Amino acid sequence: MIAGPSPTVFVVDDYAPLRSSISRLLRAADFAVAAFASAEEFLAQFDPQRVGCLVLDLAMPSLNGLELQHILAKAGSLLPIIFLTGHGDIPKGVQAMKHGASDFLTKPVNDTDLLAAVRVAIEKDRVLRREHAGLSEIRARLATLTPREREVLEYVVAGKLNKQIAVDLGTVEQTVKVHRAHVMEKMRVRSVAELVRLTQRCGISAR
Amino acid sequence: MSWITIVWSMNAAACLTLAAIYLVVWCKQRQVLAHLVFSITAVAAAAIAGFELAMMHAGTVGQYEALIRWIHVPVWVLTVAFVAFVRLYLHAGRPWLAWSICGLRTLVLILNFILTPNLNFRRITSLRHFSWWGGEMISMPFGVANPWGLLSSVSLLLLLIFFVDATITVWRRGDRRRALVLGGSMIFGSILAWHVPLVIWGIIDVPFFLCFAYSGIVAAMGYELSYDLLHAAQLARQLQASETELRETQERMELAANAAELGMWMWDIVRDEVWITDKGRALFGFAPLEKIDFNRFRSRLHPEDRESVLQALEKSLRTGAEYESEYRAVLPDGQVRWIAGRGQVEFKGDRQPVRMRGVAVDITKRKQAEEQTAHHRNEIAHLSRVTTLGELSGSIAHELSLPLSAILSNAQAAQRVLAHGGADLTEVREILNDIVSEDKRAGEVIQRLRQWLKKGEVQQHSLRINEVVEDVLKLIHDDLINQHVTIDVELGRNLPLVTGDPVQLQQVLLNLVVNACDAMTNCDAPERRLLIRTGTETRNGNGNCAVLVSVTDRGGSIPEEKMEQIFEPFFTTKEEGMGLGLSVCRTIITAHRGKLWATNNTDRGATFHFNLPIGTSDGEEVITNNGKGS
Repeated sequence: MIAGPSPTVFVVDDYAPLRSSISRLLRAADFAVAAFASAEEFLAQFDPQRVGCLVLDLAMPSLNGLELQHILAKAGSLLPIIFLTGHGDIPKGVQAMKHGASDFLTKPVNDTDLLAAVRVAIEKDRVLRREHAGLSEIRARLATLTPREREVLEYVVAGKLNKQIAVDLGTVEQTVKVHRAHVMEKMRVRSVAELVRLTQRCGISAR
Repeated sequence: MSWITIVWSMNAAACLTLAAIYLVVWCKQRQVLAHLVFSITAVAAAAIAGFELAMMHAGTVGQYEALIRWIHVPVWVLTVAFVAFVRLYLHAGRPWLAWSICGLRTLVLILNFILTPNLNFRRITSLRHFSWWGGEMISMPFGVANPWGLLSSVSLLLLLIFFVDATITVWRRGDRRRALVLGGSMIFGSILAWHVPLVIWGIIDVPFFLCFAYSGIVAAMGYELSYDLLHAAQLARQLQASETELRETQERMELAANAAELGMWMWDIVRDEVWITDKGRALFGFAPLEKIDFNRFRSRLHPEDRESVLQALEKSLRTGAEYESEYRAVLPDGQVRWIAGRGQVEFKGDRQPVRMRGVAVDITKRKQAEEQTAHHRNEIAHLSRVTTLGELSGSIAHELSLPLSAILSNAQAAQRVLAHGGADLTEVREILNDIVSEDKRAGEVIQRLRQWLKKGEVQQHSLRINEVVEDVLKLIHDDLINQHVTIDVELGRNLPLVTGDPVQLQQVLLNLVVNACDAMTNCDAPERRLLIRTGTETRNGNGNCAVLVSVTDRGGSIPEEKMEQIFEPFFTTKEEGMGLGLSVCRTIITAHRGKLWATNNTDRGATFHFNLPIGTSDGEEVITNNGKGS
């Protein structure tokens, strides 16, 4: 497990008594909490780097829960969302889940349910962020390759031999070997199998 | 027997007949002294005729002298009676003249009996016998006239003046017929009487015919009196006819009153006595002979209506306005009866009320029917509320789930805080405070629901229309959010109070708001705007103020031909609607003495308006309309 910044639970609800009671409950369970009275207020202070999860009221005046979810998705946010809603909002809940909500709880919500959902969401956030972080690393390594090395990499992961690559690229086998060594070094891998796994994660197709 | 005897005798007989008739008349009607006076006059005139006839047949001077002496008696009676008649019957003639004549005539009578042989002659020397106008032989005196006889002439002159004066008075009074007939004959008669001194002084040569001069007057008097008698008889007949008519009118009236179950009453305010028909007694449960005064009436009034009845009565007595009220009477057997009373006060000159007349009618059946109607109306209103509540159930569940959620989370947070040990008591106290206030909030929601669903009698309160608007917004708040409807509220400031049932008025407004939201479901979200406005308006242009509430949407408009149709029961444009909403709304507003109508906006959408009469400034504006009076 990679040690990261401590997670925050963001609570957005227009009904102050409920907002404060949920905040209290979460704090009592040793979570860091940040509460907001509206979606706009939350967006104004939104920092994509902060980890944790969002406990969001579905029905709010002006910007409602679903709309906030939409805006965050567009901005590329990874923050998992737990929706809180009144009874009878099942169709909206389904819609929220389809758009990637982490959980959907009806009011009044039981503490164990809420805390469990928050824990799951935070864990999900952590995993997502870790995956996201790994991917960025690989992309960063890829970015260091020269165009020629990149070409060679695509041939290597396609399982072609140095000789075949040299013929395809119209060069000598020795040159391909040098490129290949650079690729392995820059991608920090020791075997072709490892290289194949990395490139697959980045969605790089073989030639 | 010659014509002279016949004529003089007939004259006497005619006078006596009249005298007898009017004596009988006077006996029946003693208060009319004129009849007695007339009777005496006629007897005196007859006596004079008798004396004159005897004088004409007198054989000796001694006889003649005695007859002249005694004729003064009926002449005195006649003169005094004439004067009395003029005074009593015509109410004319100067009193001093009347007394002078009577006094002078009495003096003449006394002197007549003192002097010898009489007042008129100092002595009669001889009698002359001759035949007059082909009649029998008659006697006429020769002699020396007595100077005291002038007194008699003076009294005759005064009598003439008296008659002339009285005639002028009667003429001026406008009674010309009487002045002509009676006054004329009196003046004419008293002029004719002047032949007596002329004969005595030997200037003219005719027998005495004083009886004719006077009987003319008697005849005129008799004519006048008979005219009066005829008139009286006619009046009596008319009176009888109008009495019959009156009785018939009374009977018709009673029949109508009984048929209409009307009790008629009259309250003598000065003596505090109430007269009331038998039907009226039955209405209030008074015994047939029971004496009724205001307090007895008051004791029959239902305690709840007593004040309003007394106020209406008091107002009527003060202003003279027609008294009108509806109230309950409690009969001695405990039965309660609804009564409508109407009445009018009669005043004496200086605005002093002296009596009040009116009617009371049993309106129990009507009231029961009204109550039945109101009951049905309330049932439908209740049903409609239940339906509306069903439509709003999501909103209401949400309204309840909010405080419940906050309570649960707060309580569970507290449990966790305490489980940690070394709890932060400040935080626990805050949590408990929040729980209490949220619980109260949930209680309010339930209270509102209970009121909303409550069945039963409609409450009449003085209320602020703006509070009704705010209560409705609380009920519908969440629904508006879910439908993305923006609500604008323009509440008039310092609006007068209205009287009504708060729940029913909420129901009307809620219906209008829900309809307006439904009308905008096809609009783009930013277009879904709803405006609720309150204010005052002047109704009918007569200065009667009303509170006006309007709900404006931006949906479609209502086709002109459906402007009224939409208020009919079972008219609906919604798939799941019953079509009762607007018709129930209209029923409710009408029961509140207001009006509900719709108009199209100039740009888009429609506006529903309703108005309500202002509060209780005037007692007559109170909806319950509990009246007063008997």
